[in-house]
Amino acid sequence: MGVHVFGKSVKHNSLVRIGLAKVIFGLGYKQAEMLCAKVGIYPQMRMNQLKEPQIMDLNRELSQMLVEGQLKQKVNNDIKLKRDIGSYAGTRHTLGLPVHGQNTRNNAHTAKKLNKLERFRI
Amino acid sequence: MKASLTLLKRSVWKGPHVVPLPIADAIKNKTAIRTNARSCTILPQFVGVRFQIHNGKEYVEVEITDNMVGSKLGEYAQTRKRFMYKYSKN
Repeated sequence: MGVHVFGKSVKHNSLVRIGLAKVIFGLGYKQAEMLCAKVGIYPQMRMNQLKEPQIMDLNRELSQMLVEGQLKQKVNNDIKLKRDIGSYAGTRHTLGLPVHGQNTRNNAHTAKKLNKLERFRI
Repeated sequence: MKASLTLLKRSVWKGPHVVPLPIADAIKNKTAIRTNARSCTILPQFVGVRFQIHNGKEYVEVEITDNMVGSKLGEYAQTRKRFMYKYSKN
């Protein structure tokens, strides 16, 4: 069971602000709280209590924010820009190594997982 | 969204870290500036100037573009070489 907001399925019995923050990339707890306040949803409201116009309002507000695909695209572009101007951070991304001077003798697993030219596949 | 993060980098009253460089001469004569100051911040006035930045061994030639403003000169002169295994005869 899920309520569909912004093309994503949100758990039906979760609080609106928490459910949105968990599902939508680029939306944290604080931002979700602010979004709910803007649309006029009280904090204790649950996902399955939302009416159709309220979901429409949420969708409209979310489409103006920098979340999901647009944000992922922006991150990719920022990494690519660093690579193109030939900076140190850019080369570290292409090598898949840490950018901020961490040790690489052991570990560095987060960087190996994340640091590539295209971080997000869209 | 997080404009305050740029402020957290360095105290505002200090201004950017810049060393005296012959920028005016370089623009007039179109010569490259040879420098060891890798920690010098790139200012908007540097755009279009060629720099020869020391990487510890030799001077790497870099032309400054718009996107580089705000970063340091040293970011564009690599100090490390990738390890390559050389086959020996015996």
